[in-house]
Amino acid sequence: MANKRNATTIVAILAVVVLLLWRPTVIIYGLQAAGLYATIAIPMGLILGIVHIVNLAHGEFMMLAAYATYMLCQSLGIDPYLAMIPVAIVTSAFGFLVYKLTIRQALKAPELNQLILTFGLGIAITQTMNLFFTSQTRKMSFGYVSASIDIGELSFGVYNFVFVGFAILMVIGLRLYLTKTTAGKAALAVGQNPKGAAIVGIDVDKTYGSVFAIATALVGMMGAVFITRSAVFPTVGSPFTMKSFCLVAMAGIGNIPGILGASVLLGISENFLKAFRSLRGWSDIVFFVLIITVILGRSIKGKKA
Amino acid sequence: MILDIQKLETGYGRLQVLRGIDLSVGKESVGLFGPNGAGKTTLINAIMGIVKPWGGSILFEGEPIGGKPTHEVARMGIALVPQERELFPGMSVADNLELGAAYVPRGKGIMAQQLETVLELFPILKERYKQFVGTMSGGQQRMVAIGRALMANPALLILDEPSLGLQPSIVAEVFDRLSILKKDIAILVTEQNVRESLKAIDRGYVIENGSVLLEDTAEGLAKNPHVVSAYLGI
Repeated sequence: MANKRNATTIVAILAVVVLLLWRPTVIIYGLQAAGLYATIAIPMGLILGIVHIVNLAHGEFMMLAAYATYMLCQSLGIDPYLAMIPVAIVTSAFGFLVYKLTIRQALKAPELNQLILTFGLGIAITQTMNLFFTSQTRKMSFGYVSASIDIGELSFGVYNFVFVGFAILMVIGLRLYLTKTTAGKAALAVGQNPKGAAIVGIDVDKTYGSVFAIATALVGMMGAVFITRSAVFPTVGSPFTMKSFCLVAMAGIGNIPGILGASVLLGISENFLKAFRSLRGWSDIVFFVLIITVILGRSIKGKKA
Repeated sequence: MILDIQKLETGYGRLQVLRGIDLSVGKESVGLFGPNGAGKTTLINAIMGIVKPWGGSILFEGEPIGGKPTHEVARMGIALVPQERELFPGMSVADNLELGAAYVPRGKGIMAQQLETVLELFPILKERYKQFVGTMSGGQQRMVAIGRALMANPALLILDEPSLGLQPSIVAEVFDRLSILKKDIAILVTEQNVRESLKAIDRGYVIENGSVLLEDTAEGLAKNPHVVSAYLGI
């Protein structure tokens, strides 16, 4: 087992070195994409790990936050980074409300019903936004987004590295919260055994609500940052829901640092395909291939054991 | 009286399990005996608010707790060591013990003191302090579960089949520890191992088909012909 792991590490390092020499932008843009994917997938992983709900409306929360940021910044003329905290609070309040009114009622329902519920929520949110804001894309431009660096003949944009920073901060922050604070430990305990948590006096329902609020606050913050680099439209969130789900499934339930690794794999694979002009259109299919491979691999492993 | 239950009825769905149970626990150690399916675990679940009572009353230190949610019952000072232990497998012994006290007011203030008591009672937990509970043996996990319950400094400690799945030498050890504890805490314990537990308790109830069949002191139960033939197998 250890040998196999070492071999995988060596192969991975070799692949990275070869890529760096041949197409450095694959690694650079791959990491930047990985950062964006991870920041959005981590809150979904948090909800799945503790509340055990797959929130298929996850990307839609980010979309809502992006719209909120857009309106706030347009009307007040401020930078999205200043809007981050207020938008996070509003998204979190909305997330908590959605939890109380809908998801909480379905906690004891079969998994399929929960999936249908959050899937439906996603559609409802998207179409409501469509109704009020139409499908027109909205974009804001900022000078700092086009910052770039030249190394020799290589020139690349560096702005998107902020997502890598946010992803690392999120993992460290959540880890500290879950292992060092009493409330965090209680949340972890609820995720591992809700019945056991209740008999030591932890309010399971309240914990679920606060985890949902924390996760939607994080995704709200990222919605504010998202609008600095991309246009926003009602369906902008749904690919992120799918990719987040894929990453969380790859990392395994409750494995938040693992989401970072899975994001790097997804980001680099997508950008690898994008490096070939003729294969460019296929890059969106990468995550399907990855998720099928991972699930297949796990089932085969599970059968052997 | 610490726990006072009167005419308690409950069940699951349409299936009635408890048919009017009267039971009380003072500052003593009380045993609860009966065959599988008699309603011992259901009675405990009703006290802890895991199942809702259909009728009757449950008073804890004079306050009605019937129908209260589980975490509120726990915070009032009833600690449960469930049959299935219900620990947090991916967390260390230290964290499991800490969470035993963190949300119970009467345990939280004296956490350090309780921890010392628990580690003294189960020295193995000191050795395994940083180990994940999920990697430990069944016997050690049982000790973590008892330790976690004691961390809350409970007024009433309920143990559901503490010897289940344990090897005899550890069963003796667990009952040994219980006899030390009973000086300070009221204990309600269900047990298949009637012979061992009669040594550790003051009083006992025999429950069959959801009602109390017998109630007597430990000595009285040990001599009772029904208990002897049905539970002691002599």
